[in-house]
Formats: sequence, C-alpha cells, structure tokens
Amino acid sequence: MGNEKLLRTIFTVAAAAVLVTLPLFAGQYTITTCLRIMHFGLLAISVGFLIGQGGMVSFSQTAFFGFTGYVIGLLGLERGLPFPLPELIGLAGVIVTAALLGMVALRAYKIVFLMITLAIGQIFWAFAQQNTTLLHGWAGIRGIRPPVVLGIDFQNPTYLYWAGLVIVSLAIFLLWRITKSPFGLALNGIRESPRRMAALGYPVYWLRLIAFVIAAFYAGLGGILAVYTSGIITPTAIQLSRTIWILLMVILGGASYFWGPVVGTIIGVWLDVIISGITGRYNTIIGIIFVIVVLFSPNGILGLIDSVRQNQKFSRLRKYLFPNASPGKQNRDPYERR
Amino acid sequence: MDAKLLILILNGLTQAAIFFVLGSGLTLAFGLMRVINMAHGALYLLGGYIGYSVAKASGSWVLALIVGGLFIAVVGWIFERFMLTRVRGDDMAETLLSVALSMIIADLCLVFWPPQPITLNVPSDLNWPVTVFGVTYPSFRFILMGISVLIAVALYLILYKTKLGAAVRAGVDDRETVSALGVNIQIIYTAVFVLSALLVGLAGVLGGSYLQLSPGVDGTILTFSLVVVILGGMGSLSGAVVSSLILGQILSFGLAYAPQYSYFLIFIPMAIVLAVRPQGLFGK
Amino acid sequence: MSKKLIAVLSLIIMLSMVLSSCSTPTSTPAVEEPEVSDAASAVDGEIKIGMLSAFTGVFSSFGKMQKEGAELALKEVNFQAGGKKITMIYEDDQLDNEMAVTKAKKLVEQDKINILTGLVSGDEGLTVGDYMKDKNIPVVVMYSASEDMTMREFHPMIVRPTWTGAQSMDVFGYWLATEKGYKKIYAIGEDYSYPWNQGGGFKRGFCRGGGEEVKTVWFPPGTTSDFSSMIAAIPLDQGYDAVLYNGAGGDAVNFIKQWAELGMTDKIPLLGQSNTFEKPDLDSMPSAIVGSLSPHHTADNLNTPNWNTFRDKFVEAYGYPPSAASEFAYMSMRMMIRAIEALDGDVSDPNKLVEAMLAVDLSDTPRGPVTLDPELHAAVQNVYIREVAMGDDNVMFNKGLFTVKNVSQFGPYDTELYMAQPIDDNQYPPDLCSEFPAEMLEAGNTYEFVPFGQD
Repeated sequence: MGNEKLLRTIFTVAAAAVLVTLPLFAGQYTITTCLRIMHFGLLAISVGFLIGQGGMVSFSQTAFFGFTGYVIGLLGLERGLPFPLPELIGLAGVIVTAALLGMVALRAYKIVFLMITLAIGQIFWAFAQQNTTLLHGWAGIRGIRPPVVLGIDFQNPTYLYWAGLVIVSLAIFLLWRITKSPFGLALNGIRESPRRMAALGYPVYWLRLIAFVIAAFYAGLGGILAVYTSGIITPTAIQLSRTIWILLMVILGGASYFWGPVVGTIIGVWLDVIISGITGRYNTIIGIIFVIVVLFSPNGILGLIDSVRQNQKFSRLRKYLFPNASPGKQNRDPYERR
Repeated sequence: MDAKLLILILNGLTQAAIFFVLGSGLTLAFGLMRVINMAHGALYLLGGYIGYSVAKASGSWVLALIVGGLFIAVVGWIFERFMLTRVRGDDMAETLLSVALSMIIADLCLVFWPPQPITLNVPSDLNWPVTVFGVTYPSFRFILMGISVLIAVALYLILYKTKLGAAVRAGVDDRETVSALGVNIQIIYTAVFVLSALLVGLAGVLGGSYLQLSPGVDGTILTFSLVVVILGGMGSLSGAVVSSLILGQILSFGLAYAPQYSYFLIFIPMAIVLAVRPQGLFGK
Repeated sequence: MSKKLIAVLSLIIMLSMVLSSCSTPTSTPAVEEPEVSDAASAVDGEIKIGMLSAFTGVFSSFGKMQKEGAELALKEVNFQAGGKKITMIYEDDQLDNEMAVTKAKKLVEQDKINILTGLVSGDEGLTVGDYMKDKNIPVVVMYSASEDMTMREFHPMIVRPTWTGAQSMDVFGYWLATEKGYKKIYAIGEDYSYPWNQGGGFKRGFCRGGGEEVKTVWFPPGTTSDFSSMIAAIPLDQGYDAVLYNGAGGDAVNFIKQWAELGMTDKIPLLGQSNTFEKPDLDSMPSAIVGSLSPHHTADNLNTPNWNTFRDKFVEAYGYPPSAASEFAYMSMRMMIRAIEALDGDVSDPNKLVEAMLAVDLSDTPRGPVTLDPELHAAVQNVYIREVAMGDDNVMFNKGLFTVKNVSQFGPYDTELYMAQPIDDNQYPPDLCSEFPAEMLEAGNTYEFVPFGQD
C-alpha cells in the first residue's frame, strides 16, 4: 500500500529531524531526559532482545550495565587510562563475563534460568554494595567525565546527546540486522520449540549463549553512556528494583515487538518526569499500569495498537469481564510471539 | 566453649530461624506452582510494618505476630484469587504480576510508615538476658528459634499427615498427573499460596523485631529467600531447613570476620549448587 | 488509518516532552564555557532555593530535621527576603548518590534554582559538590560533613556554615587521651567517607594526646542489621579502654539495642561519634547507655539566650526539642536570608551572593558564635563534649560536659600541613599511633577545655 509506506517515510523523516535538531530549541532538561532515555533504552533493548527473540527472561542485564560503568570509573578515572581503552576493556569484560556466566545459567530451563540470572545480578550488586576497598561500596565512584575525542569535548551535553544519538541509532540498526539474519531466525525457532530445533541439528545451547552475550554487549554499551551522562556509578545502578523497572518498561512497550523496549523506555522515563512533579508515588502508578498491561494487553502498548488495528478491540477485557462466555484462553503467548 | 564462638553460633541459629520461615513458604509455592512470588520481600515488609503498628497500638507483640501473619495471608488470598487465576498456566505472566505487586506494596508502605528504619519493640517480659554457658544472650532470640521450630513441625505435620499435604507433595512431583487424577488443583494452589503468604507475614514480624524494617529491605529479603530456596531445592521442606542452617552460620561468621563480604559469602554455596547440582541439595 | 494514529500519537508525545521542560534553550553548541543559570527567576520577584536531602532511607530522620529547621527560619521572615518571595523546592535523593545527581540536574536545569542547599550524608555532599562545580550556583551545605568539600575538593561556590567530620572528633580524641587517660580504643565504623573523616579526626586528636591505638573495624552501612556477631567479635581481654561506635541513624539504634541485649553495657564503656546519640534516635535507645560520651557542636542542655529562643520556637512549632541537624539547617537558612537581604533581593550575581553570605554576622547563632573562614568558607565554632544523661522527665538527653571555643576544620593544625596529608579513608590514618607521621603528632595550639556553661 503506497499510502502506508509514504506515511511511514514521512513519519521517520520527521522524527529524525526532530531528534537531530532537538538541542537547538529544547531546554537543557529535555536533553538530559533524552540522554536518560537513550541509555536506559539500550538496557531495555538488551532485556527485550532476550525475551522477544530468544524467549529468555534474564535478570542480570543490569549487572552488565553497571559493569562497564565501574570499569570506566576504576580504569578511566582512578587509573587514568585514556579513551577508548576503559570503554573497550569494559565491553570486552562484559562479553567474557556474559559468556562464562551464560554457560552456567543456560543449562537451566526458563524459570530456573530467571532465578539464576537474578542471583547473578544480586551477587554483582552485593559485591558493589559492600566492598569498599575497590568499588567504594555504597558511595560509588564519582567525578567521571566524558572524554575529549578528536578535539570534541563531550562534556558539552549537546555533543554528548548527538554522540548518543549516533551510537543508539547504530546499535538499533545492528540489532535489526541481527534479528533478520539467519541467526535471528534460528533464535526465533529456538524460542518456539527448542526440541524441534535441536532435532534439526541446531546447536541450541550455543545459539542461546551467543544471544546472551550480544544482549550483554548492548547492556554494557548502555552502561557506558549512562556513566558519562550522570558522572557517577553506584550500586543502585544495578540493584534489583532497577532490574524490575527495566523489565516493566520492556513489557509495557511490548516484549515481542522490535520497537517495544524503546517505546516502553520513552514512556517510562517520560512518565517519571511528569509524575515526579506531582507526587512521589511513581512506583505505585507504574505498578498499577503494569498490572493492567499484563492482564489486558500482555503485548504491551504496541500490542494494544496492533489489536486495535486488527479490530480485536479489547477482546481480553471482554474475556475478563465475562470469563464464562468464551471457553478457555487462546494459545497466544505474548511473551514469546513475534 | 569460647564465649565468642558460642554467641556466633547462636546468632547463626537466630538468623537461620528467620531464613527458614522465609524460605519454607516460597519453596512450597515454587515447587508446586512453578511461580516465583517476586512479591515475597514486599509482603515481608508489609507484614512487619503491620505488626509494628499493631504492637505500638496494643502493646502486645503476640497480637502483632498473629495480625501480621493473617493480614498478609488475606492479601495473598486476594492476589491469588483475583489476579493470578486470570493468568493461570502462564508462568511468565504470573511472575510479572507478582513483580508489579511488589512495586505497589513497597511504594505504598512509604505512604503509611516512616521512611527511616524501624524495629518492632519487643516487650521486656519477652526479652530478658539469659545466661547460657557463661554467655549473656537475649531470651527473645531463643523465642524466635522456638517459634521457627514450631512452624517447621506444623508444616511437616500438614505436609505428611493430611490429605492436603499429600496432594501438595504429589503436585510438587508431577502436577499434570495430579489434576488429571481429579484432585481440584485450584484449591490446592490457593491453599499453598495463602500458606506461603501467612508464613512470610509471620517472618516479617519476627524479622522486624530483631532486624530493621525499611524501604529497600524487601529486595534483600527476596534475594535471601531465593538463595534459601535455590540451595535447599525447590519444593523441599527439608531442603529449606538445611539451607537455612547453613546460610545462617555463614552470615553470622561472615559478619564477624569479613563484614565487607557478608552478603557475597551467602551467594557462594548457592553458586556452587547451581554449577554442580542445579536442582538444589534436596530438590528433584 | 492506525498508522496515522501511531504517527500522530508519537509526534504528540515528543512535542509534549519538549514542551514539558518549558524553558528557553541554555546550551548552544558553539559556546564551550560553563552555562550561566537563567537570571529570569530573580527578575520575576521570586527566589528559588532547592533543598536536596535524604528523606528516605537510613538517615532520613536527619533529612526531616533539616526541612524543619529550614522552614522555621523561613517562617520567621514569612518566606520573604529583600522584597522577594522565597520558594523552596524539596527533592529526595533517597540517600542514593546517582539519584542525587539526577535530582540536582532537575533542580538546576528544570527548576532553575538560585541556591542549592540541604545535603545530609557525607557522600551526597561530595557527589553533588562535584556535579555543581561548573554550574555557578551557590551550594550551602547544611549537614554533609565530609571535609574535602571545604578542603581538597573545594570550589568557590561552596559555603558550609556547619561542620566537618573531623572538627569535633579531634577534640574528643584529644580529651579522652589527656583527661581520661585512655590508651587503646576499639572502633566499629560505617564504611564511607563521613565516618572515615570522623575516625580520622578522632585518631589524630587521640594520638596527639598520648594514646596508643584505635583499632578500627569497618562494615557496610545500611545492609547490616545484625551487629551481634560484630559485637561478639570484640576482644574484651586485650586492654581496650572503650568501644567507639562510629555510625548513626537506624544502624546506631540497632547496634546499641543489641549492645545492651548482649550485656556489654556492664563490660566496657561505649563512646559515640557525633551523630550516634542525637535525638530523636536517642529516644529509641535503651536507658542502659546513660553515661556514654560523644562530641558535637550542640548540646541538649545549652542555656544561652540564643539557644533558648531557638529551642522554644522549635518546640512550639514541632512539639519536640531540636537537635544539631535542625539547628544547622535553621542557621544556614538564616544566613541565606540575611545575605539576600543585604543584596536587596538581587541574586543575579552568584559571586556577590557568596560574598554576602560570607559577610553575614553569625555571632548570634543558637549553638554558639560562628565565624566563616573567608578562604575555604568553613565554620569556626564551639565544640561540646557531651554525656548521655537521664532527664527528670525520664527522657534521655545529651548533657554538655566541656566546651572548647573557636575550633576550625583544621583543628590545631597548620592548613598546608593538614591538606598535604592523604585523604581520610578506611586505611588512613593508621590504627597505631606509632605509625603516624611525626609532624602530625605535634600541633601549635592545643585545646582549652572549659567546663560546660562557664564560657
């Protein structure tokens, strides 16, 4: 349909134009908020990729997010290694750690995998929280500043914003390619039916491991951007409530959609800015929204838009109100479908 | 025996008492329903806070214990009946709903209770210095241990001497077959979930009487409960007993000799178990 | 049709995000100098002061006291100074340093505050101070006591009319070594910057006064509820004269309860850091600790006209007596108000504002006369050695024993010598006095201890 394509192109161009020219007309705080959306968005993509593509729910992505932050703080700030060494070491470290931990964690099935990743995330947190000699415990490492690269001083928030925009766009593009590649399709197959894929000769365990490592890389990338935006890395960056919040953002946007995590993060951060001006009860409101989403639109906001489009208007709502009317659930598993 | 060593062991036993009450409900619920109740920590906190208010208002700690436990049991029942049943069978959705519940409860606690750490006041007729082998130790901690043992015995009786218990044990082993056999699995789920909630409510009052209740504790408690369950084995009560005892001692000695790593040390047995025997010490 | 819907919805969302920050652009790519905060708010007739504190978490009682103290000062002038209205914006950083930066950004970038104040814990202060380095907005530190904010990490926008961690503890350590003859102390401390600073000051004073050792064990704050194992590990047979608990807030209450439960009150004297026995935490502690000593810049039984006026007003407004955190916030706020008055409400030049603050006469401060050091903007003030006592109304309070006047943040040391030393942390200063650098063991001026109430 030519019309749709035209609309989509116009939309994309307009959105891109707005995003690129934002610093020229928007306030400082908007830029700060956009940077937050960017780094949390990368973390959300990391979580969403595993859930949507691979059917695995991992609670240790936040740990990888904080890992690069700590490496930059320890090596870049405290020991003075220049850009891009700490960043590269951080990302390499994340990949290696994810590979090792993934090898252990992926031997388990779904819920146990979740518990193991939760435990891994918490181990990182406990170590960061309590160890003062190296990681400075609860106080964290402060005073981290973005570097000067090729003469551009990224301490200027506008430059940092543009750099972030480039990085995030590249990352999303790369993910798009991965998703559509044979690897991505194989991953989808494993998500649907691991036994069948194994029977077909696919190395299920290793494919999942690769996906886990890729996701960890994205989380680490987000962590780099985060630590430059806020200038500090503390254990709260990797605590359980942060992990839960990111998961909520992903589900809110729609776990089985490519853009779901990003949409969810935009909404989540935007709500934070708005709500915190009115009340401190952000968590309660988000929690309630989440309950509504899980019960009535498990495919998130994008799923809601989709079902409105497909005229399945509020079919879940109908089923909730009149549970006896329609026999049983249809086998639509929103956490695994694409 | 060296006085210091004795106190450390007693501390470990006190800690184990709390761990057991925390882990027992979670392990049964998980073993049977394959759902991790992520709101476990938040329910602990809420139970503790309710107990705190009851104790403050009435002056009776025992009443606080009873009310705290029952209140959370009711909360658990409401949650199970009206929300979990809607998504029954979908493990992910059930887990996510409990996540949402944990956020809401933890946040609402901030509205009704003070933001700084508080402890339940234990009346002095329950807490007097006891001298054991030349060491002074507060009696209340022995009471904690005693209550925990009572709970363990009660759970064993329920699990091994009643029909409900038999159904639960069968369900832990193989839930599809159990429901195929015509047992109303729904009632069993609800019963176990409510029992789990009751236990965590009690744990909240018990723990809140000797540790602190404050925002953020829910995350730590959830983590500890999960460690107890993973180490002991999902669905195994004896596993919960053994892992509580082990972890309690580790925490106690860790706090004495390496406080910087006290949490970290707790994760080590869990990590070992996950690598070597992922179903836990006593799990299937 | 729905694609259009999505497109329109997203554009609306984006536009509203842009508009919700509702301000004129303040950053342009070409300019590399630090941003100057929008002067619009001063011209509007409103002065915005942001208070960033820990209103949730293990030190939240201090955050609450800060708010109360500040509001008392504001109520006295009807929230007006220099003809302009003062608007307070409170933000809770939940004792999380990352959140502190996020909220500071919001206050600076979105709310466009003229002054930033508040700050409870040591690390909050250091973190926010670091963020505010190039923002050109005065930072008035109300309680955060990590000394480096007015020493090694100082920048001219920081004004701290309150205290540093070492200031009172140096006096305390010295007094214990010289007057009480203590030689060995066993210290249990919270492992972060403020107790490090308090411990550092204590060790310096103690060793200078002739002590031998302050053996210190550190634990992670806020995550250790059960201290009984740590208490059990205290070696009672190695000749320690006292145990110093170097922590405060919820942790302190727990520690002391368990201390009493394990029967330690009969075995060895207990000392506290400055905040350990502060009210209202003191009210939750068992009465067995009567007699325990701690130092601070206030004492609950001060009896000067300035203190009494303040205390009565505070009790009338809130129903309970004030403690150090409340007084600090009160006099800081008063200083800001007086500075704004002196400038006739024109706060457009931050440098002039800071100068005005430094010029305010603080001799009528409730806790005792205070002067501000013009170089590093830190307070020179009284130190009181106090003891926990039981009042006639069966409520415990901190009874002043001795006063030392005009103590600076460097104690008796020379400024350069002091700042040349390594920063206090959990390894430095060393536990054994014999390992101290020799020049730190002598100091030009020593303290003069005046019995309380007779100065």
